[in-house]
Amino acid sequence: MTPLGPREDWSVELKTLTNVMLGSLQPMLIVWGPSQTTFYNDGYAQMCGNRHPAAFGRPFRDLWHDIWDQVDSIISAAYAGHGTAMDDIEFTMHRKGYAEETHFAFSYTPVRDPWGTVLGMFCACTEITAQVAMARKERTQRERFMQVFELSPGGIAMLVGPDHVFDYANEEYYTLIGVGRDIIGKSVAEAVVEVVRQGFIGILDTVYRTGEPFIARSLPVELNRGPEGEKQRRLLDLVYQPMRDDIGQVTGILVQARDVTQLRADEERQAVLSHELGHRLKNQLAMVQAIASQTLRSSQDISTARRRLSERITVLSEAHDLILEGGRGVSSVRQLVAQMTALHDDLHNPRFRVSGPDLKIGSRPSLSLSLILHELATNALKHGSLSASSGRVDLSWRVAGEKRDRFEMVWVEKGGPSVSAPETRGSGTRLISAGLNGAADSLVEIEFDCSGVRCRIVGDLESFQKEH
Amino acid sequence: MAARSILVVEDDGLIRMDLVDTLLDGGFEVIDAANADQALALLEKHPMVGAILTDIDMPGSMNGLGLAKIASERWPDCRIIVISGRYNPNQGAMPEGSLFLSKPISVEGLAAALQEMRITPR
Repeated sequence: MTPLGPREDWSVELKTLTNVMLGSLQPMLIVWGPSQTTFYNDGYAQMCGNRHPAAFGRPFRDLWHDIWDQVDSIISAAYAGHGTAMDDIEFTMHRKGYAEETHFAFSYTPVRDPWGTVLGMFCACTEITAQVAMARKERTQRERFMQVFELSPGGIAMLVGPDHVFDYANEEYYTLIGVGRDIIGKSVAEAVVEVVRQGFIGILDTVYRTGEPFIARSLPVELNRGPEGEKQRRLLDLVYQPMRDDIGQVTGILVQARDVTQLRADEERQAVLSHELGHRLKNQLAMVQAIASQTLRSSQDISTARRRLSERITVLSEAHDLILEGGRGVSSVRQLVAQMTALHDDLHNPRFRVSGPDLKIGSRPSLSLSLILHELATNALKHGSLSASSGRVDLSWRVAGEKRDRFEMVWVEKGGPSVSAPETRGSGTRLISAGLNGAADSLVEIEFDCSGVRCRIVGDLESFQKEH
Repeated sequence: MAARSILVVEDDGLIRMDLVDTLLDGGFEVIDAANADQALALLEKHPMVGAILTDIDMPGSMNGLGLAKIASERWPDCRIIVISGRYNPNQGAMPEGSLFLSKPISVEGLAAALQEMRITPR
């Protein structure tokens, strides 16, 4: 006895299909009669989860009640005489007591009697949930790789076949060769035509033929990458890597390219800068050497020489601090003067009257000017106006000349003892007379007047202010 | 100006002064210029200058290498020593037979260079 009556009373169609179903290893299902009584084989039973065995011999709806809104239409279609076949239908099933995404490939076939009346539905199906999950995992993985390619700071392109046809290129690659160029599906020779005469097709051919990668650094390449497709020269770090199939045959080439034009330019600038630094250092050493030599040459004794040399080097060092603090070439005359007065003036009884514009001064003249001011002040304290309590120094500077193209500074001592030119020029006077280093037409005049020392320092303004 | 005197060309007044002093101490007759243009004018006036000691980087219409080139063409007997803190010029940039000295120059280094170039006080 079965829900469809005694077996010997079954129709020939039902008997035949039941035999097929029970004999098959593929999951199969029969839904029969107006009550949609449901039978299935062992293969199908496995897909039913814990609905089996209760659902066996019951209406089809009892088996798939949780997905009935989807199943209803296709079973009704089958009963209406229309078969359905699908490669992949997705259901959220609760057959194991929890929600589960499932996928099936199946066909619903109406079964008719010889007069065409639909008796039931026959279904052969395969659960493909595992395969779908696998395919999805592979796709996710591929997408992740693609994302890595997309986000790579370098340009990446994949070429396939012996003609090097673009299969893929990331955004950076487009930036490199020129945004908006149409390359996918075209060969390199066709899509990036300007590289042909630069020999790149030959290199690609060699990589494809030999399977040996090509690696180059700072390779100059001309690319039509400008906004109007005009030619630009770039330096690339370039790698052509052969890609192989399962049996090791080269099937394509992975291109990795990095635009190092800016990087190389920066490195070059850095090298120039450190070269420049070395040059400055050597010039300053030469200057210190000259100062040391001049100091020793004219000093009476070694302890005086040591003190004077040490003072002079300190003055240079402080002037140098100003250059470094201000950045390139923005020391000002006022700052240099302030450094000198800080050392030689008396806070409670100011001896200097200082006036002049806040003129910018280049680093070479700034070292000379600081030294000249120091020597003038030292001399004034020793022999000049600052040696007397009432003595003063007027220090002023201005932009001079008809064309306003000269720097002029005047040092005038007043109220001190009468001075006269020394019989032999001391090292201080000699250092003063060396003038402003770096300023063209620099001239220093020093007069030993009975009213006091007068010194005038002039030079070309442009080179005085220029950073050398 | 006697023969075999030396012309010092250097824009840095301190370094020029010290070079001149050192050469005077060595018994040479010395004249000096602050740039290449001044130096050429002096050479015109004193064709008997036996040697030129010149810096490279100087303001004016040409640098020390330009001066060395012109001087070697017009006064082929004049010995040339080029001095710089900047670079060692390659052979092509310097006249044949000239010598390069790197700043700063020691008294001994200068003496050795003069000897090598057979530049002696008269």
